[in-house]
Amino acid sequence: MKRRRFLSAFAAAPAVTSLLSEEAAAQQAAPPAAAAGRAGRGAGGQGNGGGRGGSSEVPKIPVVEADEAGATVARYFSATQYAALRKLAGMLAPPLKGNIGALDCDAVEFLDFLISASPADRQQLYKGGLDGLNAAARKQFGKGFGELNNAQADAILKPLVVPVAWVYDPPKDPLKHFIFEAHQDIRTATRNSLEATKALANSGRRGFGGVGLYWNPIDPV
Amino acid sequence: MAKKEYDVLIVGSGHSGGMAASVLTKKGISCLMLNAGPEADYEKDRVTKAAHELPWRGFNKPGRLSHVYQANEFNANQWVDEKENPYTYDPAKPYNWVRVRLLGGRSLFWARQSFRLSDFEFKAAEIDGTGDNWPISHDDLAPYYSQVEGIFKVVGRKEGWPQFPDGNFIEPSYPPDSETIKKISELCKAREIGVSKMRSAQGQNGLASSINLLLPDAVATGKLDVVSNAIVREISVDKKTGRANGAHFVDRHSRREMHVKARVVVLAAGTLESTRLLLNSGIANSSGMLGHYLHDQIYGVSVVASVPEARDGKAKPGQMGGSVFIPRFRNLRKTEKRNFIKGYCMIIGSGGSASPNHFAAYGDELQTKLDSYAGSCVSGSIYGERVARYENHVRINKDVKDAWGIPVLHVDVKDSDNELNMAKDSADTMEELFKAAGWEILSKTDKFYPPGYSIHEVGTARMGDNPKTSVLNKWNQSHDIKNLFVVDGSGFVTCGWQNPTMTILSLSMRASEYLADEMKKGNV
Repeated sequence: MKRRRFLSAFAAAPAVTSLLSEEAAAQQAAPPAAAAGRAGRGAGGQGNGGGRGGSSEVPKIPVVEADEAGATVARYFSATQYAALRKLAGMLAPPLKGNIGALDCDAVEFLDFLISASPADRQQLYKGGLDGLNAAARKQFGKGFGELNNAQADAILKPLVVPVAWVYDPPKDPLKHFIFEAHQDIRTATRNSLEATKALANSGRRGFGGVGLYWNPIDPV
Repeated sequence: MAKKEYDVLIVGSGHSGGMAASVLTKKGISCLMLNAGPEADYEKDRVTKAAHELPWRGFNKPGRLSHVYQANEFNANQWVDEKENPYTYDPAKPYNWVRVRLLGGRSLFWARQSFRLSDFEFKAAEIDGTGDNWPISHDDLAPYYSQVEGIFKVVGRKEGWPQFPDGNFIEPSYPPDSETIKKISELCKAREIGVSKMRSAQGQNGLASSINLLLPDAVATGKLDVVSNAIVREISVDKKTGRANGAHFVDRHSRREMHVKARVVVLAAGTLESTRLLLNSGIANSSGMLGHYLHDQIYGVSVVASVPEARDGKAKPGQMGGSVFIPRFRNLRKTEKRNFIKGYCMIIGSGGSASPNHFAAYGDELQTKLDSYAGSCVSGSIYGERVARYENHVRINKDVKDAWGIPVLHVDVKDSDNELNMAKDSADTMEELFKAAGWEILSKTDKFYPPGYSIHEVGTARMGDNPKTSVLNKWNQSHDIKNLFVVDGSGFVTCGWQNPTMTILSLSMRASEYLADEMKKGNV
C-alpha cells in the first residue's frame, strides 16, 4: 500500500519536478538582464524575450498544413517514367467503395518526392521498374505504359502481381519486385494522405486513418 | 577531481540496472546510475498525430534507422540514432542492433512476455550433446524468478511442464476458446504437442519498465543519484590493485569529459553496450571470450491460413478469435533425432485478416478478396533459439567512432544450418496443422529476420565456472576483477526460445543480493 502511494506520487511528479528544476536552473544560470525580463513571465516563458508577457498571454496563431495550401511538385522521374507511375497508381489503387484513389490525392507526386530522397538501390528499383513497364508496353502495344488503356495495362500487370509470403522476401524478378514494392507504397501514400483522412472522417465510417502516438525528438543534441 | 565516491556505479537504467539499483539501495548502499540518453517526458514528448501531418507521410525518413525494422515515422525518435551511434558489419552478414538510450532503456517498450528459462536451457549441453551448460540451474534462480514475477505481476496458466516452468503467477481469467483455437488444441494434443497460453507481465497501466516498477523504490531510499546524458567511455581501474574504481564518461550535449569514483562497478547497459565498454576499457578478458557467443532468437517464420466457413462475414459467434501459446516441444528427449538441436515456440492467433500481399490481385479484385477474407484468418509465428557459437562475436572497430569519439562495435554473426533447419521444421509444422484443420493456406515462409531483430541479444560475456572459458562467474561477477559485475544479458550461456527479460531481471536481483552480502562481509 505504501509502495502504491509512493508510485502514484512519482507518476504525478515529473511534470512538476521538471518545471521546478527548469525554473531553478534558469534562476541560477541566467544573466541579470534575462533575469529581469523573467519577472513578467510565467512558467514556460521563452528565452530572453524580456517583457513579452507570460505564455498564456501570447496568442496562438492557427496554421494549416502545407498540403491544405499547396501541391507537391513532381520533378524526379522523367516524363515517361512519371506517366507510367501515374498509370500504375491508377490501376493498383483506384477509388473503391467511397475510398480515395491514388489519383484523387497526390500519392504519385508524393512518391516522386519520396523516391528522390531515398537510397540509391530504391531509386534504381523504381526507375528500372518504370522503364521496364514502358519497355513491355512498347513491345506489346507500341506506346508507353502511361498511354495504355486499362485493358492493355491489365495485360501487362496481371503476370507481374504475385503473392508474397513475407514482405522482407520479395520476388527475385526485378520487375515483379518493383510492382510489389510500388503496390505497397502507392496504397500507403494514398491511405495516409490528407484527402483520404478527410474522406474517411466525412464518411462517418471507421477505418484506418493513419493516426498514431508520435514521439517528438527527445532532447536532441 | 571527483566530488563524491559512491559505493556502486551502475551503468544503464533498463530492467537490469533498475533491479540492481532497487536491490542495492534498499540495503543502504549508495549508488550512482549513469544513463547514456535523456529522460523522456511522456507529457511533452508524445503527441497524437495523423500520418499526413508527418514530414514523410508515415514512411519514415528514407535511410533512417535502416536496421530497426520495428521503427516507423511515429516512433522513430525513441530509437538510437544510427548516424550518431553507428556499428559495422560485413554486408554479407547483416546484423540488426535495436537500441534505446532513453532513461529506462528498452524496458520502456518491452512487450511484457514473461517466461522462465528451464533446465532444457540451463543444462542444454546435457540434452543437446554439444555446447555448454550454465553454471546454475533453474532451482538456483527459481526464488528470484518468483520475486520478479511478483513485482511485475505476471499473469500465466500453470502447466507443470519441465520445459515451461511455472512461477509466481496471477491466476488468469481467459475467455472461452473459440472453435478455431479448440481445433488447433485438439490437433496439437493428437501430436503430443502441449498447448498453453501466453504469460505476460501486467506491470502498471500497461507499462512494466524500470522507471515505474524498479527505480521509484530506489529513489525513495535517498541512496540513488541518476545522471542522464552520461555516455560512459571507459571503466577506470586502479593500477595498483587492478580493481575497478569508477568510470570516465562524456556529457552527451557538451562532450565534456568527466570521471566518477565508485567502490564497485555494475554494468547494465545492455548486452552489446556493456561488452563494448569492457572491450574499449581493455579489461575482464583474460579468457579471450569477451565478445564471443553472441546469439538471440529467430523471428519472422510465419504461416497464414483462412477458415473457409468464416469468409464473407459468415463466421459464427465463437468461431474465430483468441490465441494459444505453444512452448518448445522439439528435442525434449535425448532420443529425438532431428536435423537441428534446441527448439522453438509457436504463437497461433485466430480472427485476423488477410494482407494485400497474400493475393495476386490489385484494384477491385484485391479489395473484393480482402473483404471476403476479413476476420477469417489464423496465423502462426515462432520464436526459435539460435545456437550460441564462439565464432559469432563482436570486436572493437577502431576505425569508426561514434559522435562522442568512442570506437564502435563490429558485429560478426552468421546463421548456421541449425537455424535454417529449425525454421523449416516450424513452418512445415504449422502448415501441417492448418491443413489438417481444413484451412486454406494463404502464405507460408520459413525465412526469418537477420540476427539482432528480436532485441533479445545475449551472450558476449558469458558466465561459467572456468575462468579460462568464461568472462563472469555464476554471480555475474568478473573472474578477473572482483568488484566488477555485468548484470544484463551478456552473461547468458544459452538464450532458449524465451523472451529473456525475466531471466535478466532475476539474474540481476541474484547478483545484486550477492554483491550486497559480499560488500557487507568486506569481500568486495
